[in-house]
Parts: sequence; C-alpha cells; structure tokens
Amino acid sequence: MEHDAVQHAVQSGSKIQDLAWLVLFLPLLGSVMAWFITRRDRVLTTVFTLGTVILSFILSVTLFAVFGAASAECTPFQFLHIGDLKVDIGLHLDALSTLMLLVVTGVASLVMIFSTSYMHDDASYSRFFCTLGLFVFSMLGIVLANNFVMMFVFWELVGVSSYLLIGFWFERPAAGDAAKKAFLSNRLGDFGFILGILMVWSAVGSVNFQEIQASLIKNPAAMGVWAGLAGLLVFMGAMGKSAQFPLHVWLPDAMEGPTPVSALIHAATMVAAGVYMLCRVFFIYTVPAGWPPALSFLGDLSAATVVAWIGGITALLAALTAVQQNDIKRILAYSTLSQLGYMVMAVGLGASTGNPSASMFHLFTHAFFKAMLFLGAGSVIHACHHEQDIWRMGGLWKKMPVTFWTFAIGTAALAGLPPFSGFYSKDEILATALEANPILCGLAVLVACLTTFYMCRLVLVAFFGTTRTESAEHAHESPRSMTIPLMFLAVPSVVAGWFPVGEFIAGHFGVRSHEGVGRVVAQEGIGPMLTMILGGIDHALFAPFNHNALAAFLGLFGVLLGGSAAWALYWNQARDPLPGLFTNLSRAMRKKFYFDEIYDSVFIPIHDTVACIMAWFDRWIIDGLGVRGIHGTIEIVGRALRLVQTGNLQTYAFLFAAGVAFLAFIALQ
Amino acid sequence: MSPLTSIVLTPLITALVVLLIPGNYRFVLRLVAIAGTAVTAALATRLFFLFQPGGGLQFDHQVPWLNHAVFSLSYHVGADGLNIGLILAAALVGFAAVGVSWDIERQPTLYYFLLLLIIGGALGAFASLDLFFFYFFNELALVPTFLMIGLWGRGPEKNYAAFKITIYLTLGAMIALVGLILVYAQTQTLDVVKLRALIATAPLPSGIQAVAFPCLLFGFGTLVGLWPFHSWAPLGYASAPTATAMMHAGILKKAGLLALLRVALPIMPEGVAKWMPVLLVLGLGNLLYCGFVAMRQRNLNLLLGNSSLAHMGFCFLGIASVSVIGVTGTVLVMVSHALLAALSFAVSGWFHRHAGTLELNRFGGVLARVPFFGTVLIAALMAGCGVPGFANFAGEVTVMFGAWKQFPWFVMAAAWGGLVIGGVYMLRAIREMLHGELNPEFAALREFPHSEPLPEPLPNIGLGAQVVTWLTWVLNSALGGGIWRGWRRLPYVVLLASLLLFGFAPGILTERIRPDAEELVKLATNRVPTTAVAPATEPK
Repeated sequence: MEHDAVQHAVQSGSKIQDLAWLVLFLPLLGSVMAWFITRRDRVLTTVFTLGTVILSFILSVTLFAVFGAASAECTPFQFLHIGDLKVDIGLHLDALSTLMLLVVTGVASLVMIFSTSYMHDDASYSRFFCTLGLFVFSMLGIVLANNFVMMFVFWELVGVSSYLLIGFWFERPAAGDAAKKAFLSNRLGDFGFILGILMVWSAVGSVNFQEIQASLIKNPAAMGVWAGLAGLLVFMGAMGKSAQFPLHVWLPDAMEGPTPVSALIHAATMVAAGVYMLCRVFFIYTVPAGWPPALSFLGDLSAATVVAWIGGITALLAALTAVQQNDIKRILAYSTLSQLGYMVMAVGLGASTGNPSASMFHLFTHAFFKAMLFLGAGSVIHACHHEQDIWRMGGLWKKMPVTFWTFAIGTAALAGLPPFSGFYSKDEILATALEANPILCGLAVLVACLTTFYMCRLVLVAFFGTTRTESAEHAHESPRSMTIPLMFLAVPSVVAGWFPVGEFIAGHFGVRSHEGVGRVVAQEGIGPMLTMILGGIDHALFAPFNHNALAAFLGLFGVLLGGSAAWALYWNQARDPLPGLFTNLSRAMRKKFYFDEIYDSVFIPIHDTVACIMAWFDRWIIDGLGVRGIHGTIEIVGRALRLVQTGNLQTYAFLFAAGVAFLAFIALQ
Repeated sequence: MSPLTSIVLTPLITALVVLLIPGNYRFVLRLVAIAGTAVTAALATRLFFLFQPGGGLQFDHQVPWLNHAVFSLSYHVGADGLNIGLILAAALVGFAAVGVSWDIERQPTLYYFLLLLIIGGALGAFASLDLFFFYFFNELALVPTFLMIGLWGRGPEKNYAAFKITIYLTLGAMIALVGLILVYAQTQTLDVVKLRALIATAPLPSGIQAVAFPCLLFGFGTLVGLWPFHSWAPLGYASAPTATAMMHAGILKKAGLLALLRVALPIMPEGVAKWMPVLLVLGLGNLLYCGFVAMRQRNLNLLLGNSSLAHMGFCFLGIASVSVIGVTGTVLVMVSHALLAALSFAVSGWFHRHAGTLELNRFGGVLARVPFFGTVLIAALMAGCGVPGFANFAGEVTVMFGAWKQFPWFVMAAAWGGLVIGGVYMLRAIREMLHGELNPEFAALREFPHSEPLPEPLPNIGLGAQVVTWLTWVLNSALGGGIWRGWRRLPYVVLLASLLLFGFAPGILTERIRPDAEELVKLATNRVPTTAVAPATEPK
C-alpha cells in the first residue's frame, strides 16, 4: 500500500500536491525499514526514522510555501466503493492542513532529536523510534484526510500508537494500566464518533468533507433533526482524543510513558487532533440546531453551545486540579487538559460567528511551548535521576541554565504574558468569548489566573529556593542533543504569536475579521507575507490591544493576579502551604475531584455486573438448564429403558409372549 | 480440469498420500503435508487474482454423477464473489494450520490425514454449487473435527466438549438437511444455478418457504453459533487441538453463512421478509451477550471463542439488512474473521504449548520474553476489537454502514459491542498476559526451544540408512528449533499479512464481492411472484 502510494506520487509528477503522499508515507516507510532491516543498529534506525520525519518536515514547508491558504486535492485511492458508500483514501490541502503539517512534522523532528539522548540507554531504543514513526504517520493521516472514514481510520491508528507508547515500559504495571485506560477512554469517544459519521452520511449522503460542506452550504437544513445529535456524537470523538470532561481521566495517567512521548503526543499533537477535527468539520456545527422528536425539549440549543461549555468546564476543572499536583509531569498534563479545554471552548463559541480560528491559533502556539515545557521537564527528570516530585527538587536554576531559561519562557507563554506567543492566542480566545458568551469569558479569565498560579508555583518550587534532596544536589545540565531542541522550540514559543495565524485560519473560514497581515496571506499567498510581517511586526505586537482592549486587559489582569498570589505563597517554601489554608478544597484538588473513584465505583461495576449476569445466564441457564437439561432428560429416559433389558431369557420370553397376546387382543377386537 | 477442482483435490490427495507414510517418518509426514497445503495456498492465491470482478460465475466445473429421472446429482464447483475470498482464506488457513502442527507427536499419520481431510472438505464445501456436495464436503470436514477434539484435545473437559460439539453440529446440519430436502422435493434439483433459474419462473410456494426457511436459518445458524445455539463453540475451541480450532473457528464455521447466502436468501424472498427481524435480534444476542460473556472469561481460549461468536453478530446484522452494502460487508467480515480467528487460535495454541496454561492471571509480562508471539497476539487482539488497518475493521464498518439506515439502534448496539466491549476484554488480556511484571514462572520461556529428541540408535540397519537417519535429524532440528527455525514464523506472518493487506486495501475484496451481493439482494428482496426480471427493490 505505501509502496503504491509512493510509486504513484513519484510517477505523476504533474501535480505538485501529490507530494503530500510522500509527506504522509515517508515516516511509515522509515519505521518499517528501520524495524525490519536495521532494528539492531541504533544509528541506522535513527537515520531512517528521524531522517524520514525531517524529510517530511522539509516537504511540508515546501507545500506550505506553495499552497498556503489555497486548497488542493491529491489523487485519491479507492478504499471502499459499494453502492452509496464511497470512501477514498484521499488527501486535502488547505490552510488548516498545511499549517498543521508544519506543527506535527516540526515538533516531531525536534522531539525525536531530543529522544536520541533521552532514550539512549534504553534497551528498546529502536522500538521507541519505530513506534514514534508510526505515530507521525497516523497523525499526518488525520491532518490530511479528506473524508470522515479515512480520518476515523487514522484516528484509531493514532490511538493505537499512543497505546503502544504509553505502554512503552510495559514491565511497569502502572504503564500497562495507563495504556489500557487511555485506549478505552478513546474507544468510548470513538464509539460516538463512528455513530456520528454514520448519521452524517445517512443525512447528507457522503463522507467527503468537501461534498458535505458543499451540500450544507446549498441547503443548511440538510441534516434536519439530526444536526444536533450528529454534532454531539462527532464531538465525542474529540472528547476522547482531546481528553475533554468527562473522558479526560486518561491524559494525566498517560504520563507513565517516556517524557518525549508526553511532549509530542500528549501535549503538542495527538491531543490537539480533537480540536483540529472540530475545525475540519466545523460546517456541521454552523447549521441550524435540530433534534429528533424525543429530544425536542432541547429546542434551540445547538451542539456548538454544548461543545463550548464542555470545553469551559474542562479548562476550569483541570486548572483547579493542577494547583495541587506535585508531580512535574502531571502538573503539565493538567495544564494541557486545561488549554485543550480553552481550544474546544473557542471552537464552540466560534460557531456563532462562523470563525473558530482562535482555537487553531492557540493550538499552534501551544504545540511549541507545551512541547518545550515537557522536554524541559524531561531534562529536569533526567538530571535529577528520574525524580518527578517538585518538592524533592529546588534550586535548579543555577545548575541547569538552558533548561531553566527555556522553561521560564514556556511558563510565560503558557501563562499568557506579552510578548510571548501564548498571550496572543489566548487573547483571541478571550475576545471571542467576550463577544459570544460573557459567562464563559469570565470563566476563561479565572482559568488564566489559575494557570499563571500553578505554573509559577511549579517554577518557584522546582527551580528556586533551597536544594531539598540529594538527587537535586547532583543535578547538572543535560547534553546538547537535549538542550538544542529546547532552544529551537524557545524561538517559536516567543514569536509564534506575532504571526497572524488566527487571521490566516480565519481567511480559510471565509471570515475577514479585521484588516491585517493574515488577510494578505489568505488572499495573496505566502510571498507577500514576509514583507508584510517585517513591515507590520509592531502592528502584530500590539494587535490584541487595538482589536479588543478589554479582553487583553482582562487576560493581563488574570496573569498578574495569579502570579502575585503564587509569589506570596510559594517563594522559598519547603512545604506546600495551601493544604493548611483550604483543607477540603485542597484534598479534592489532590484527588482530581474523585473522577477515577467515581468511574471505578459506579460505571465500571455497572458494566461488569451486566457481564456477570450474562455469564451466569450462559453458564447456568443456556448451558445448564438448556443443554445439560436436555442431555440429562435423555439420559434418564435411557437409564429407565435400560432396566427393561435385563439379559434374562425368561424375561424376554415373557415380554414377547405378552406382546403377542396384546397384539392378538387388539387384532381380535 | 478446472483450477477449482485441483484446489479441492490437492489436500484430499495429500491426505491419501499421508496415509501411506508410516508414523515413525514424522519428518516426511510434516514435509508432505506442508508441501500439499502450500501448493493449495499458491493455487488459491493465483485463482483469487485471476478472478474477474463482476464476471459472474467463473471456473465452473460440472461432472454428472447420478443421472436418474427423479434423482440426479452432479459434482458442480464454481467461484463467484461470495466464495472466492473464502476459498483463498481457507487455503491460507489450511497452510497455516499444518504449519503450526509441527510439534505433534502422537499418531502423526492419523493427525495429518484428518487435518488434510478438514482442509479439503472445507474447500470443497466453499466451492460446491451443488447442495448435495456442499453437504457432503461439510460433513467430510466436520467428522474429523470431532475425532481430533477427542483424540488430540486438551483439558479435563475435552470429552464433554467433543460430545457437545458433535451433538450440536449434527443436529444443526440435520435441521438444515430437512430444509434442503423440502426445497429439493419442490424443485427436483439441488444445483444452485438451476435453482435460481427455476425460481425466476416459478417461485417456491409460500408454504414451503414458511417451513424451509426457518429450518435453513436455524440449522445453518447453529453451525455458525447463532445465539442461543452457541454454547458448543467456546468450550469446543478451548478443548480442540490448535489446528482444529483454527480450521473450525476460522473456516468451517463460515460454511453455514455461505449456505444461508447461497440458498436461503436468494430462493426464498418471503422467508427473508418474515425471518430477518428474528435474525437481527438473535444477531444482537451474539454481539452483546457473547461480548459480555467474553468479558468474564479467565481463560484466553474461552475469551477468544466468545469473541469469535460476538463477531458473527456482525455477519447476522449484515445479512439481516438485506442491502448491498450490508451483504458485501458480511462477506468481508467472513473472510477477515476467517483469517483472524485462525491467527488468534494459532498464537494462543503456541502459548498453551509452551507456557502450559492459558489462564490469564497466571501470566504476566511475557512480552519481554517472547516478543514475536507477544506482538502477534497483540495484533490479533487489536484486530479483534476492530482497529483499522486490519481487514476486520473494514468489514465491520461496512456492515454498520449497510445496516444504519434501517436499524440505527441495532448498529449502535453493534458498535458498543465491537468497539467498547471488545476493547475491554482484548485490552484486559494484553494487560494481564503480556504487560506488567514478568512472572518468574515464565522466565525460561523461549520462542523456539530445541525440542527434537536425538533419534534412537538403530542397531540393525546399514550405514547408508544410519546416515539418512542422522541427516533427517539434523534437518529436523534445524527447522524445528535450530538455525532454520525462522520459517516457523511463516504461518503467523502469512495470516497477519493478509489481514493487513485486506485492511488497507479492502477494495481488492469488495470489488469481487459487490456484483454478486447486488445480484443476491435483488433476488432476496424480489417478493412479487412471477416478476422474475423486475428491477431491484433495494431497501433504503
């Protein structure tokens, strides 16, 4: 299959967009070759897997430069063509996918470079790199898919590679459990996703994104009463993959995987797939709300509103939980959850204006600074001999300057401090929320405040204060292959917000929000963009204040509040003062609001009980009463009849005579 | 001679050849059996790619057997979209089943003879267009199955299992036979092609349909494990020797479904209209009920047996939809499940032989010891819970598309059974067996242990015979656990590779299946008598 695709792309050089086939299949090819040929040689394995991903990145840059905001279809392959069901494996290039290609292949390349030293001593080095290659392939499949079924195929493949990577150290029971939990939570989401796909297909008659969009533009009511339900079911897929409440429980546990995996998959790319998917199928959220008769009480409530609220709740819950976590990776995991909640909220809120670009903008900036934060955490963990508790660190800033400074940049970006990238993207979300739903906007500001608080807590406890343990005492800066990716990621973490990504994406959705560089890009391509950016950087720097000053100031206010609270509570502390101040709240936060406990004691037992009843029924009713019952009855009859056969000639003679007499009697009657 | 006939005859002739080889020439026995099935697999692969999609019935071969005014029978084989994939799968699984039987020690001559009979019988049943020969070949494969469970089976309950599976399947086959006889009494023919032609001008009377259809449905349904006539399957597979479980769960079971598609649906549209809702509900029993039961199993083989039953639910759902997409999906599930069930039982058989147990909680962390078989097991379990990339996903999703417009609630339940319940038990098996800390009991587990014992010194033979004996031993060891042991991965690799091929390019199968599925749906929904060439009333 991949051979065909590559062959195909090489032969029909007439269409440059067919390069996308190469982008997609190169990482898989690298992995397959590395696994079957060079598995025993670390250097060659690295060359194959990392090399193909970097090549993929270079091609993605080419595609971005050539196509940018223009849209193009690659020559498709038939997957399933039966009657009304027409499913292709086809690639679609437009502003959304080319931007996402850059993010995925770029971050993946850096994370893989980082891994060459982070995983250097691992016995399963090759397995790690090959699985990462498989992941990149599946993720690019989601990005490039031009139809629902293909997206679902790669969606699940991403889930499988995530499963394999979370369970990479499968000898650890916790890793095995975490992998299982991640896969099952995703499965629950995918259950809804596939039903949503079926619903859209039966209502619109196609699974191809362009065709569905075209028919929905022609007739917005085409989905009729199914609009709301289909939207929610498709959103379930995003809830699983992007770990939205209440399916968020797997993501913190997924930190059992190696840290580069957490950086690439569980921070920058895979978990963002849900948000990307929502933007990709945004057209099903902008149609008028409709519910089947049984659900008609929902009235005008649109699926998008539910999406926005789920996102907001996730953002708040996760931020609150992060405040009282002590494991450096878990804090970052909850912050990822919280930021994903932001993005999902932005998609939901964007439905009213037809413009979800704020979420893609935040996805773009978040990918860089969160990957950097995770790699920084990896560098810290590596230096402290696999210590992950921030209270067992301290004073690291002098010992690991590169890690510290990049981590500080990441924190500033995540908190949303200007001029770091996170400020700009978060501001767009706040501005969208302020226009669409002031309650959610207030919630978002609260989350911004909490974000700054827990990130400052993390930095103050882990990097400042006194060195609290032996392992932190001996910490030293990580090798260059680990610090260089950090520095590489630091650059976009600062400047990514200065690019008018939001407007670039808005152009894709046909919205010209305000005058700016993005419009030029969307309309005229990448060439003029560079001159515009150089000329307009001051414009970009202050865009948030010009565009919606209130949102910008609200965001800044949250950052300052959270930062100063963290400073007051955590500067030079050896123990966490918060549990003393708010005993119950703090315990609930530490226990992650008891979600795991609720699942373990309510939902899983219910499912298990049903299984128990069925198994009991199978064993005792069908097999016992039914099969063994019939068997037993026949056997008893047989035993009874056996008594007649005594083997005694006289008995037989008697019975024979009796029979003859009986028959004679009947005959004579 | 048609290529189909040679495919059917190759394993049967090999079986006869095997009978001529004495039991102490085990190495020769193995080689002959493997060579025979390899040739069959190669022929079937060639046939599969020679098959013209949409070309109707191909490789037709008919030999009149009994020519009597009232009672005429003929050997008639042919391939169309419904059986071409199954023939390929049967030949591949047959090869794999012989390949994994390398370690059989007790009565090898009889073992290989019976196994080859099963393979030949299954191929014959799939290829037959005459229902008498279909029935004959099916029994030719079933009887050795019972014998093998009794003779080479495992576990304390193997006699009960053999007894139970015999009773169930014999009863099922007899009920189906009643239905077939009813059809024959009316039409005077058992040839599928002739039947279709006859029905076009003179549909079966409603009275016959009302009796014959449920006979065929429940008779053949029992052979497939239709709920609630399913309880022979899990214990039967858990007690059967590996190769038998592979052949029965993977291949033979599909004969019942193929018969439903060949006979019951196209010639009895009234029966279809009346009984499909029943089939739908019972199929749901397979999907949910057997899935839930699988969740509670502590033994890998019982889990796989129940999960295999659960997957049959997708086939019933697809048939019950009587739509082109649904029927195409059903055949796709039949082919992919054939390969998958064989792969699952092959690898579980490996674990049983080398670890001595299949109780899930006794394992732990063995993936580190046996990466190849561990990976194959993970792949098989993943395919079993419908992960895309394996053919099973393609089939199941096609069935869901086919049935959605008519039965959305049933599809919802099917998705829950396939995606969620399937995920729960499959992942639990991986977690308990392969992940986690290594159980020290299995610290010595090896992928290819040296198992070949030194040959007994034979004092009374000449030098030449001594040399031959030793050479055979060297070859035997090299292939068994020595330097050439790598080939022993081949059976697993063949099955896994075909699952992946059809998973990424299901079009290879569906383009062959679809035209005949269209034809079938046209006949099955043609409820108006005497309008034989009426346009298809495809349900929407």
